[in-house]
Amino acid sequence: MFKLRDISIRNKLILMQVFTSVVVFGIVFGVFIITDVNSYKQRKVDSMISLAQVIGTNSISSIQFQDPEAAKKMLADLHNVAPEIIHAGITNKNGQAFASYSKIKADSFKIPVLKGKAFSFAGEQQLFVSNPIVSNNEIIGDVFLQVQLTELQKIKHDKYGLAFVLLLVALVFSFLIALMVQSYISKRLLKLVHAIKKVGKTGEYNKTLEEDGKDEIATLIQAFNKLMEEIKESQKKKDEFIGIASHELKTPLTSIKGYVEMLNVLEQEQPKKKFVEKTLNNVNKLERLVKDLLDVSKIQSGQLKLDIKEFNIDELLDETIIAAQMVSGTHHIERKDHPDNKMIFGDKQRIEQVLLNLLSNAIKYSPGENKVVVDSEKTEKELIIKIRDYGIGVPKEEQINIFERFYRTKGVSVHISGFGLGLYICRDIINRHYGKIWVESADKGSIFYFSLPLKHSFTTQQTQA
Amino acid sequence: MLFKRFLLVVLASFLAGAITAQNAEQEANLKAAFIYNFTKYIDWGNYDHGSDFVIGIIGDSPVTESLNEIASQNTVDNKRIAIKTIDNASEIKDCDILFIPKKSRFSLNYLLRKARPGVLTISEEAGFAKKGTAFNFVIINNRLKFEANLKAISSAGLKAGSQLLKLAIIVD
Repeated sequence: MFKLRDISIRNKLILMQVFTSVVVFGIVFGVFIITDVNSYKQRKVDSMISLAQVIGTNSISSIQFQDPEAAKKMLADLHNVAPEIIHAGITNKNGQAFASYSKIKADSFKIPVLKGKAFSFAGEQQLFVSNPIVSNNEIIGDVFLQVQLTELQKIKHDKYGLAFVLLLVALVFSFLIALMVQSYISKRLLKLVHAIKKVGKTGEYNKTLEEDGKDEIATLIQAFNKLMEEIKESQKKKDEFIGIASHELKTPLTSIKGYVEMLNVLEQEQPKKKFVEKTLNNVNKLERLVKDLLDVSKIQSGQLKLDIKEFNIDELLDETIIAAQMVSGTHHIERKDHPDNKMIFGDKQRIEQVLLNLLSNAIKYSPGENKVVVDSEKTEKELIIKIRDYGIGVPKEEQINIFERFYRTKGVSVHISGFGLGLYICRDIINRHYGKIWVESADKGSIFYFSLPLKHSFTTQQTQA
Repeated sequence: MLFKRFLLVVLASFLAGAITAQNAEQEANLKAAFIYNFTKYIDWGNYDHGSDFVIGIIGDSPVTESLNEIASQNTVDNKRIAIKTIDNASEIKDCDILFIPKKSRFSLNYLLRKARPGVLTISEEAGFAKKGTAFNFVIINNRLKFEANLKAISSAGLKAGSQLLKLAIIVD
């Protein structure tokens, strides 16, 4: 079903203008045609009445001297004078036919009942005119004319044709004008829509639109800008809160961790030792979350600094795999490539953070006993690290979003803890290393990739940046 | 239906207009009407005789009765119509129209001499128009027609309207 609401404003504007102009032109042309046809009819009636008057005047003597032949002869001249007259008749004062004329090939003549009217139309085809013959203030007879309105049909046909063509021209012109005019309104609307979409996608709330004019669209833009301002403000407050909170949480947590670690060393007696170990585990988990929050806060405020040094990525990979394996006993992390002491420029600690994050994610999202495969591939310019799991995978439509701040995959995340900050931090770290991070779906589970420029290309990119 | 009626009307009117020799009364009526109708197309100019419009008829004629009837109902130029039977040629000078019936007592030449300018002469004898009367009634195809002698009309100082002359048989 066709819905007006489904049409874009741009097309609505065009449609509106075209429709309006067509209606207006239609009415104007209609009125013109009707007036034209009516004035043609009136002119025809007038001229035919005049002709009847002339015929009447000229036949006075014929009637008076009872000479129908003379009258007939005069009527016969109508053939040349007024070819549209198909029948003409003169009656005497008693209403008896005195003389008549019929155009060749014309049908039979019927004297119409005019009921005292000077003329009447038989449809649009014929006109009947009657005019009394007056001599010395005395009606001595009548003249009847039957006129074929062939010209009227032609005029009508021509006018309708012309009106149709003009209407088409008007349609085309109004469409073109509408096309030009609509852009003034719709362009600005579309610009706003585009800006809103962009904000929705990127989450960059600091972009404002130029305010032009004072119309409703300008008001809309103003409202949009104000909204952006408010979002920016609340965003800022949130970031500040995260920064302060994570900072304030970290200080006592460090102290708690220190004491719990000490307790862990001192306490050997079961089951106290087990409780301390559990506490330590959870403190570590809490510390990671607080650290994540702190990192995010740093990223937001631009305080995250990389400590770039040259290091052996193969070593780091092995170390990280061992560390991750320690956390999850049920999973088997396997390295597919052969270590060959590849050297990389970067922040070793941060790259380790990325690797740990990706590995822990791989473990988290592949419940049960599954293996995780770590692989690397060296190209001319960069090193690509692949971490493959055989877990639940990432739906295609969510693959762009999972690197966003506080984003948690829908449905499955309920059972899995975390703030949804890990991948956001990973992306930021990798971006700062001039690398890329992305995810691909495999037949089972997913593959997370990140690329790091090799030593020489990293330095060139750094100098470019 | 209407057409048939019209045809019937046409035929009837033709019959009505036809003059039969037997119907003398009808002929006289028609002639009287013609004479009266002539007055509508003739311009007497300055020849204005008096308070009455006088139509003179030489001797007795059936036309007289018909003319009397017309005269009782009509006027010419707002003047009363007076119908005069003329027995004496001297009376001719007072007439505006002089009707010369068939078998008149006077010879045509005599009458034409008496009829001074300003008198419209009308006759009903074959060839009279040629001999000098302004109008002369003839019957052609059972229809009453009239001949006109333009010379006679102009020499009488009168003017005849073109609407009248177009119906006349011009003889001179």
